[in-house]
Amino acid sequence: MELTTCKNQDVRKRVYEAIEKAKRLQPILNAVVSFAQDIEEQLAHLEQIDTSAPLYGIPVVLKDNVNTKGLLTSASSRILSNYIPVYDACIVEKLKAAGAIIIAKSSMDELGMGGTNLSAYTGPVHNPYDTSRISGGSSGGSAVLTAADVTPLAIGTDTGDSVRKPAAYNGVVGMKPTYGRISRYGIIPYASSLDHVGYFTTSVADAALALHVLAGRDDRDMTSSTKEVPAYEQLLNSDIKGKRIAIIDNVQKAIKDESIRTGFDQLMMRLKQRGAIVESITLNEQLLAVILPTYYIIANAEATANHSNLDGIRFGVREDGNSVEDVMSHSRTAGFSANIRKRFVVGSYSLFVENQDKLFRKAQKVRRLLVEELARVLDQYDITIASAAGSIAPHPQDSVDEQLSDTYLIAENHMILGNFSGYPSISVPCGFVEGMPVGVNLMAKPFAEQTLFDIALAIEEESGLRGQVAEVTK
Amino acid sequence: METMDQAYFNKLAKQLMFELSDAEIADLQAEFVILQKQIALLEAIDTDGVTEMIYPFAQETTFLREDQVDHVIAREDALSNASAVLAGHIHVPKVVK
Repeated sequence: MELTTCKNQDVRKRVYEAIEKAKRLQPILNAVVSFAQDIEEQLAHLEQIDTSAPLYGIPVVLKDNVNTKGLLTSASSRILSNYIPVYDACIVEKLKAAGAIIIAKSSMDELGMGGTNLSAYTGPVHNPYDTSRISGGSSGGSAVLTAADVTPLAIGTDTGDSVRKPAAYNGVVGMKPTYGRISRYGIIPYASSLDHVGYFTTSVADAALALHVLAGRDDRDMTSSTKEVPAYEQLLNSDIKGKRIAIIDNVQKAIKDESIRTGFDQLMMRLKQRGAIVESITLNEQLLAVILPTYYIIANAEATANHSNLDGIRFGVREDGNSVEDVMSHSRTAGFSANIRKRFVVGSYSLFVENQDKLFRKAQKVRRLLVEELARVLDQYDITIASAAGSIAPHPQDSVDEQLSDTYLIAENHMILGNFSGYPSISVPCGFVEGMPVGVNLMAKPFAEQTLFDIALAIEEESGLRGQVAEVTK
Repeated sequence: METMDQAYFNKLAKQLMFELSDAEIADLQAEFVILQKQIALLEAIDTDGVTEMIYPFAQETTFLREDQVDHVIAREDALSNASAVLAGHIHVPKVVK
């Protein structure tokens, strides 16, 4: 459902229908961690909001790493499974000021550290197009609830394609704006130099409106930008005549699925017919091959530091012990899954004094080279484009998480360039393969979100998938 | 190079304030074999003269906020998520016995 369609319904009716639908689908999708208990208070608060507010009475879902005052915020981790924040994240304030009604918190990979949503403390999230397949992650719950037509807008976060990949797997629009465009105050961090707030919608127009609501400087987040926020939704223009589009050829060649490649090629033909200048470019293959280890080292090192405060003492689930050290150790052993503890070991290893130059600083230098490689292309083109994933959403047993692997290919990791660089990036549905949605991913220069929205809108017009949602059947 | 035996990973885990099972250590040992291969790929990239990229943009904060107390939480709120509270403080096992 699009925001405009939703707005035509009675506020109370649409809010309670969204909640009822989420509850009805919960045994099938398992996408919700907790439901808001203050719906009536939120509805009462609407009396203070202008009815013309952009999200007036719109039901919205938040990823469970977004702090919500008085509402469980577990980040899908056992250690935070009793954590009730005492303050709202900046984006919660903005959403409520725009008239949104927060109805639920959505499942995610534990602490955001994964790409399958199989690691959530509350269990795996299922794809609404085929419940035997994964949702993708780490913002899987939000992607699924948008795709299943529960809410027209759901918030996610994106540290290493965690909005844009599940968007592609679930056939919705997934937007990660420029680093600093949306405040991260009140978001439980994963890796601070890579973390972005992102979101899901069922149309590009809604994505443009949502950024207008969410973006802007917040003094509580020193990395947030002071740049003015345009009215993206009012400036939308799908005339792409003369726009320069660079296909990342390395990615397309790495994709084994012929149907995905063919669909992509046909879409590029249609963009050419609309007057865009579409050309293939090649990025340095040696650099692309180390995207994953570079990410793995930086992200885990930052996560190790960020999550050192999760010890069960001041908040979170506490385990007994005979000393403070015992309490912390027992709480962290029981509170984190094995996968998270292993990641912390890798992060800590790369931060050892003797390993810092060889690993952590080396990764940070390679990150710069990768970003310079992307910037070199975007000096010549308005956007880059490539298939958002190398396959349709896999089955759990066939899925590969964000972990080191000899076989994890360029096709599955290229979107991390958007996190390394902080450049804006959007995934847009472009068709179906074997009944499952597939998408394309676009990246542009810093703060060129309008360019992304405009070209994404042209793609949406070509695909005819505006407002596309799934009929969920078990 | 370090000997990545069980004792080594137990030492790493202790520094991180948690424990690892034998099976988890075995998984880590396998993962570190791949990590070493990936490090070799990283090492092969010439980064001479390249500066580390720590954040995407150098976003300088060039203002001083007003010297006013702001965003204060009440003691009750600060303690509301602690599992053990005693006499207005977070309670932990005795350090000095």
